Amino acid sequence: MLESIVSYGLAVGAVYALIGIAYNVMFTASRVFSFTAGALGMLGGVLGALFINRFGLPVSLGFLAMLACGAILGVITEIVAVRPVLKSLDQHLYVLSTLALALMIQQLTAIEWSTEPQPFPRLLSFGDSLIDQKFWLPVLACIATIVGLELLYRHTLIGRAFLAISEDNYAARAIGLPEQQLRMTSYAIAGMIGMLAGFAGGEVLLAFFANEPMLNFYGFVPVALGGMGSNRGALVGGLALGLFQQAANFLVGGIFASVAVFVVFIIVLLARPEGLAGGTAARRV
Amino acid sequence: MPTSAPKPLLEVKGLSAGYGKIGVLHSIDLAVHEGEAIALLGPNGAGKTTLLRAVSGLLPWQGQVRFGGRDLKGASPRDTVGAGLVHVVEGHRVFAHLSVFDNLLLAGYGMPRRDRATQIEEALSFFPEIAAKRHDRAGTLSGGQQQMLAVAQGLVRRPRLLMLDEPSAGLSPVLVDRVLAVAAQLRDAGTAVLLVEQLIEKALRLADRVYALARGTIVLQAKTDEADLPNRLEHAYFGQDVSAPLWS
Amino acid sequence: MDAAAPSAAVRAPRPSGLARLETAAPFILLAVAGIGLPFLGEDYWGVIATRACIYWVLVAGLNLVVGFAGQIAIGWVALLTLGAYATSVLTAGTAMPALSPYLALGVSAVMGAIFGVLVGLPALRLRTFYFAMTTLGFATILTQIALAWQSVTGGGIGVAGPVFPGPFSTPWGFYFMCLGLAALCTWMTANIAASRFGRSLIAIRDAEVAAEASGIAKPALLILVFLFSGATAGVAGGLFASLQSYITPDAFTFDLSVLFFIAILIGGRGSILGPLLGTILLTILPEFAAPLVAWSTFLYAALLLVIVLAMPGGIADLLDYKNRRPLERHREIVPRPELLSQLLGWKADATSLHLKQVELSFGGVRALDGLDLEIKAGQVHGLIGPNGSGKTTALNVISGYYAPQAGGAHLNDAPLPLAAPHTRAARRIARTFQTPRLIGSASVLQNVMIGGTVDGHCTFVESLLTLPRHWRDEAMLRDSAMLALSSVGLEQLATVRADRLQHGELRFMEIARALMLRPAFLLLDEPAAGLSTEEIRRLGALIVAISRQGTGVLLVEHHADLIFDICDHVTVLNLGKILADGTPAEIRSHREVVNAYLGA
Repeated sequence: MLESIVSYGLAVGAVYALIGIAYNVMFTASRVFSFTAGALGMLGGVLGALFINRFGLPVSLGFLAMLACGAILGVITEIVAVRPVLKSLDQHLYVLSTLALALMIQQLTAIEWSTEPQPFPRLLSFGDSLIDQKFWLPVLACIATIVGLELLYRHTLIGRAFLAISEDNYAARAIGLPEQQLRMTSYAIAGMIGMLAGFAGGEVLLAFFANEPMLNFYGFVPVALGGMGSNRGALVGGLALGLFQQAANFLVGGIFASVAVFVVFIIVLLARPEGLAGGTAARRV
Repeated sequence: MPTSAPKPLLEVKGLSAGYGKIGVLHSIDLAVHEGEAIALLGPNGAGKTTLLRAVSGLLPWQGQVRFGGRDLKGASPRDTVGAGLVHVVEGHRVFAHLSVFDNLLLAGYGMPRRDRATQIEEALSFFPEIAAKRHDRAGTLSGGQQQMLAVAQGLVRRPRLLMLDEPSAGLSPVLVDRVLAVAAQLRDAGTAVLLVEQLIEKALRLADRVYALARGTIVLQAKTDEADLPNRLEHAYFGQDVSAPLWS
Repeated sequence: MDAAAPSAAVRAPRPSGLARLETAAPFILLAVAGIGLPFLGEDYWGVIATRACIYWVLVAGLNLVVGFAGQIAIGWVALLTLGAYATSVLTAGTAMPALSPYLALGVSAVMGAIFGVLVGLPALRLRTFYFAMTTLGFATILTQIALAWQSVTGGGIGVAGPVFPGPFSTPWGFYFMCLGLAALCTWMTANIAASRFGRSLIAIRDAEVAAEASGIAKPALLILVFLFSGATAGVAGGLFASLQSYITPDAFTFDLSVLFFIAILIGGRGSILGPLLGTILLTILPEFAAPLVAWSTFLYAALLLVIVLAMPGGIADLLDYKNRRPLERHREIVPRPELLSQLLGWKADATSLHLKQVELSFGGVRALDGLDLEIKAGQVHGLIGPNGSGKTTALNVISGYYAPQAGGAHLNDAPLPLAAPHTRAARRIARTFQTPRLIGSASVLQNVMIGGTVDGHCTFVESLLTLPRHWRDEAMLRDSAMLALSSVGLEQLATVRADRLQHGELRFMEIARALMLRPAFLLLDEPAAGLSTEEIRRLGALIVAISRQGTGVLLVEHHADLIFDICDHVTVLNLGKILADGTPAEIRSHREVVNAYLGA
C-alpha cells in the first residue's frame, strides 16, 4: 500500500513539478503566466501516443518529434498570445489570450484525437526489474530537466542572459541583449519541458484531452506554493502535492483528496499570496 | 564655422519623444563629433534621460537621428550598441545575482569570443578596483563599484560614443571624480562622450561643449571655455536673472 | 457637508427623452422579439430562447464581476451547479422535507449569494492569474462533490429538476417566467451600471489608485457584487435544472463556464447590452449549423482570442458610434475660476495639514529623513527639490499610500490613518497623480463623477431598484461634476470618452475630479508636466483661485517658474530633509537651493 502511494505519488508529482517549471520558465521570460502549460502537458501524452502508437515511429524519433512540437508550440504561444499583449497597458489580457489559445488546443485535441483516454505506449523495453518504468520515467525527466536548467542558467551565456532579462528587463535591453529572441527561446524551452512532462508521465496519465485543465491547476499549485519563478519550490511543491494526493486518494477516497488539496491551496495562498518562498510587491503610485 | 567642418558622429534633428500621450522632448537639435565630450545639463524633468533613451532606441521617437552616417529610425538598443553607440543607464543598474565577470560577458553578448575576452580585459583595466572582484556577485559591490561596473559594461563594445546618464547619482565625490576621470581618458583616446549630469562644475571640467535642456527644449549651447557661462546656465535653468553669483 | 446648489447656468444636460429612448431602444426591441416569439409557432426555438434567458440571468450578474469589476472569475459555473442541485434536491425532498419550487429557488439564491462571496473573496488578496485558477478549482471541486455525494445528489445518475406549478408548468409558460426574470436582471444591472456603484466598479478595474483616492473601498464593493452575482447564478441554476428536467454532473462542464465568461468579453466590458447580445449570440450560434456544435467551444475560444488581440472593447465598442464622431482639433482649455465659489464656497473646520517627523526608507534608501511640513488652509504651498529628494514620497505619505516608519500625517491635530488612502476622501483631502489615472472607456463626466462617490448616500439596493434616493444622488453628482468641469474649462468634452482627450485635458480633468470632494486640502503631483506654456499659465490661475476659496493647496512641481509665480510659501527638499523654507523670493535667492538644483 505504502509503495503504491509513494510510487504513484512521486510519478504524478514529478509531472506536476515539470508543468510548474514550464510555468516558471515562461514567467521568468515575460512576467506573465500562461494557461498553455497544461495544454503542453496534455499534448505530450497525446502526441506521444499519436507518433508512436498510431504512426508507428520508433520511440526515439517520437521523442524528438514531441520535443520539436513543444518548442514550436511554445514559440507560437509567445508570438500569438503573449507578445501582442505585453505592449498593452491592460495588465490582465494575457490571462484571456493564453486561456483562449489553451482552449482551442484542448478542443482541437478532443475533436481530432478522441474524447476518451487512449493508451500510451510502453517507451522502454528494459528497466522494469524493481519499479515499473511508468513510475520512474517522470521522476527521471524531472531531475534531468532541473539539472539541465541549472547548467543552462549557470554555465551558458544564453542562460545567464535569461536571468538578466528576468532580473532587470530595462537594463538588459539597454546593454543590447536581444530581448525578443531570448523570450521566444525561453518559451520554446518551456514548451519542450511541458511536453516532456506529459510524455514521461504518459503511462500514468494516458493520452487524454481532459488532462489539460487538470494539469493546468495541479501544475500551478507547486508554483503558487513554492513561489513564482522558483524551480526548486516547484519541485518540492509538485512532489509533495503528488504524494499528498495519492495518500488522500487511498485513505479517504478521490473526492476528499481533491477537496483537501484545494482547501490547502486556498488557505496557503490567502495567508501568503506570494507563496511560501515569498516575493516582492511592485510600487503602485 | 570652417567649411571643412567634419560631419558629426551623432546628429539629432527635430527630435520629439515622450511617454504615451505625454510629450517630453520638443524638436531637439544636437550634435556630437568624434572624440568630443559633451555635457548635457538641465533641471529635473527637463527630458535629459528621455533624450538618451530615444537616441539609444529604448523609446520610440519622431524626427531624425543619424549615427556615423547611419539612420537610426526604428533601431533597437541592440542595433545601436552594435553600431558603436552605447548607453549607460541611470541608477547603476547591474545584474545583482550574476558575477561581475558575467555582467561584462553579457554586455558583449553576440560578439566573437576572442574579441569579447580581450575587450573585457581592456574594460577592466580602467577599473582595477572591480577587476579584483571579478568573480564576486555584482550585488555585493558598493554603489560606486556598481557604477564603475556599469561603465565597464559600456566599454566592452569599444564604443565610438559613450552616453552616461548621471553617473554621479548617489556616489561620494571621490568616486565621482574617479568615474569622470575615466571618461576623460576615453575622450583623450578618441571615444566621444555624452554626459548627462547634475553636478555642473565637474561636468564642465570634463566637457568640450555644453547643451542645456529645460522643459523639453535646448535653451543653451556653448563651448565650455566661453565667458559668463555660469550666469547663462542659471538663466537657462530658472528663466530669471541671478541675484547671487553661482561661484564666487 | 451638504452640497451647495449649483447655479442654473451650469446644470448638467439632462438626458432628453429622445436620448433615453435611444439607449433603451435595443432593449425594447429585444423584449418585443421575446414576447412575440411564441407566435412564430416553433416550440424548439422556445427551448433555445428559454436557455438564452436562463444563461443571461447568470451572465447579467457575472457581468458585474467580470465586465465591471474586472475580476477574472472563470469558474462561475460552480454556482450554476450549486443552484441547480439545491433547487432540485429541495423540491424533491431527498435531503429534507420537500419545499415549493419557488421557495427552493429563493433558497438557491441565498446559497448562491453566500458561495458567490466565498468563491470571489480570494480576489481581494490574490493576483489575477491566481484568482482565475482558484475559481476553476472551485468549479471542478463542486462537480466532483456532486458526483460523490450520492445520497443527496444521486451521484452520476443525477436528480430530477423542479417543475414550477401553475401557468409555468408548460414550456411556453416557463419561457415567459424566464423571460421575465431575464428582463428583471437586465433592468437591475442596468440600474447599477448607471449608478455610483457601477462607476466605482469600473474605477476599481481601471484606475484602482484613483478609486482609493476618491474614497472607494474595494472589499465592501466586491462583496456586494459577489453576493448579487452569486444570487442570480443560483436562480439561474434552479431554472436550468427545470429546463433540463433532469440534471447530472456532466451537464455542468467547463465549456459552459467558458461560454458565460466569453459572452461578457465578446460583448464588451462595462456594458449591459454588449454581454446580452453576446449571450444570445453564443446560445443560438450552434443551432444554425449542425456541424458547428462540436466545434462550438473551439470557435468561442478563437473568437475570444480575436477580441483580445484586435477588439478588446468587444461588441459594445462596435456599437458605440457616438464616440467615433471627430473632435475639434485645436481645443483650448479655458477655466472659469469664478464658478469655484459655488463648488467650494463653504468654510471647512480644518485649518492645517501637516507631516510630523516623518521617516521613510525603501529598502536601504532613506526617502524621508525626519520631515516636518505644514500646509495651511487658503495657501498655495510649493514643494520642490531635485530628483530623489522625496517630494512625491511626502505627498504619498499625506495621501496615505505609503506608511512611514516613524511619524505621520495630521489633520489639525488628529492623526490620519497610515496606509489607508481611501480614508482621505471623507476628510476632504483630494489629490491628483503624476501620470493621470483615468478610466479610458468611460466619459469625462463619469470620470469626474467618481470623485464625488463619498457624497452619495443611496445604498446598493436603492440603486438596484432605482428608488428615489438613487435619482437624487445621481442628479446631485451630475450637477456637481458639470460645475467642476466648467470651472476647469472642459464642459464641452463632458460626454466624450476619456481616452480621446489630450494629455493636458486629462490633467485638468483630474483636477475637476479632485474638486468634487470640495477639498479642504488639494494635493497636486506635478500637474504641469507635459503642459504647454499657455496651459501652465491657466493652470496657475486656477490653482490660485482654488486656494482663494479657502482650500490649502500642496503643489509638488519641477517647473520652477510656476512655483515662483503662484506659491505663497515654498519648501525645498533635498535627500529627504528640508533644505530651505520660506517665500518664493527668499528661496529664489537662497544660495544653497540654487546649488542643490544646479548641483555643486
